[in-house]
Amino acid sequence: MNSGRAGLAGAVGLVVDRWAVAGGLVLMLVVGVNVLSVIGNILWKPFPGDFELTEMGVAIAAFSFLPFCQLHGTNVTADIFTSRASPRWISIFGSLASFVALMFAGLLLWRMFEGMLSQKEYGYTTAILQLPIWVAYVPILVSLALLLAAAAVTLVEGTTKSEPAKAQ
Amino acid sequence: MDPILIGLAGLALLLALIAIRMPIALAMIVVGGGGVMLLNGPALVLSQLKTLAYGQFSFHGLSVVPMFILMGALSAKTGLSTALFRAANAWLGWLRGGTAMAAIAACAGFGSVCGSSLATASTMGRIALPELRRYNYSGALATGSLAAGGVLGILIPPSVVLIIYAVIVEANIVSMFLAAMVPGLLAVILFILTIAAYVLVVPSAGPRGSATERSEFIAATLGILPVLVIFGLVLGGIYAGYYNPTPAASVGVFLVLLYGLLRRQISAGVLAAVIKETAGSTGMIYLILFGAELMKIFLSRAGLPQATAGFVIDSGMQPMLVMILLLVALIALGCLLDSLSMILLIVPFFWPVLVETNGGLYQGSEGSGFGMSTEDLKIWFGILALIVVELGLITPPVGLNVFVISALAKDVPMIETFRGVAPFFVAELLRVCVILLFPALTLWLPHLLSG
Repeated sequence: MNSGRAGLAGAVGLVVDRWAVAGGLVLMLVVGVNVLSVIGNILWKPFPGDFELTEMGVAIAAFSFLPFCQLHGTNVTADIFTSRASPRWISIFGSLASFVALMFAGLLLWRMFEGMLSQKEYGYTTAILQLPIWVAYVPILVSLALLLAAAAVTLVEGTTKSEPAKAQ
Repeated sequence: MDPILIGLAGLALLLALIAIRMPIALAMIVVGGGGVMLLNGPALVLSQLKTLAYGQFSFHGLSVVPMFILMGALSAKTGLSTALFRAANAWLGWLRGGTAMAAIAACAGFGSVCGSSLATASTMGRIALPELRRYNYSGALATGSLAAGGVLGILIPPSVVLIIYAVIVEANIVSMFLAAMVPGLLAVILFILTIAAYVLVVPSAGPRGSATERSEFIAATLGILPVLVIFGLVLGGIYAGYYNPTPAASVGVFLVLLYGLLRRQISAGVLAAVIKETAGSTGMIYLILFGAELMKIFLSRAGLPQATAGFVIDSGMQPMLVMILLLVALIALGCLLDSLSMILLIVPFFWPVLVETNGGLYQGSEGSGFGMSTEDLKIWFGILALIVVELGLITPPVGLNVFVISALAKDVPMIETFRGVAPFFVAELLRVCVILLFPALTLWLPHLLSG
């Protein structure tokens, strides 16, 4: 899945793809924890904290996929109303969508940074393993920063090309 | 300004944004977030955004979604689908139209390990289309049955859309999966009968295949054992109450991975491709879920669902008429929106209407509008909604399953595929009627197993 981008955009694409694969590996780890828990349940005793590890792991994985979706255009759109629109208008619509994604990523990055600080301040932890919740926010904030970068890439591409690049 | 008016304006803006190609998730985020800011001031939204997304993304009830997506993506690469089609063809191939019937049966089998229609259509299409061409099937029948068969991916549990529905209306996922079994099998039977009727009218469309030799028959049949084992351990385990859906799906991912490794189909490159596919679908779904959450907060603060329910109750319509109107509205919207967005946008609206029509959330079957408890109504409506939103996959103008199959069969014009899929659409409408008239078909299995 080479996104066919060069320079800075290419670098962002590479990091975003690898970050998504890393998130996928976190998801595989969650799978492993659950399988161990099922086996442990049969043979001995359940894996402690499998429930909260699943919650945390899936959240981290799902956030890590967001920049990938933005960059590869996998977010669903309804194209039928504009199927006869000129490439110029479609490019304007694409830029608008990228701009909204950019604003959203920035806003959420700011708010969830504040969220991490309050989680840390109040010392919230998971119930059984006592893992601090704010730790999960760190990779999530990286994901949001990458989403910001990915939206910037699609925005620039949308304003310079007639059709936003889709690499799938 | 009247909150209801703001709510309606928000909905209009949402549709307008979707119409100009704004990704549906982003449109919901803008309208939902903006709407709450307008109604309650920005401070509330800004403080909710600190933890709302994490709370939603880490919700355990949703964690089964990426697991099943991963399992489906893996299944497509492991040769499970080839084994299924080979066995189905050994059983059905000698009939007139038999290879198309085998494709339907194989789609159903693949649907029992995969929760997505598009993945089922593209995976089975890649395997069955060349065979159908080899036996000189007409383009319309070959592509039509595969596009329709893909729908079975979502109708037969596990089903991603059904999980999302269960989360929205707070239904038990296990009951929903159980309820989907009999209607799913009904779909398989009706699709196969549709093919039988089709080749009766147009005999040249689906010629007879040759009978299978005894040794091939046995080998092919044994080849589906892994699918049966995986289905039995994953859904059987859930049904028996042995474990929750998330551990079950994890076991499924593990087993499919193991099968793929044993058959030497999985390399690091394949795994990376599977993960990227999972990333694309999961990220898209989670972002829509987040947008739908903001929309839900906005609309309920505007009081719109309550107002809609009140409006329908005051109109004094018969419960059954209300249900039919809702289903027709879903079929119509299915031409424009994808199934997941539809469930997420529409169900929070429609469900309160049905609850009120039935007599309230804790209504028993005695004296209720639909002659069943609200808990049962939740299950029954879920299955009906699932079927009708999936119809959008095989109807113009967006019919995504048809697009997927068309892309694989470049020599068949898309209009032919839409023509070929039309008889299956009629079969689906028939099935909706049957399920509507006989709720017991849906409710029997959940009742039996919940005691």
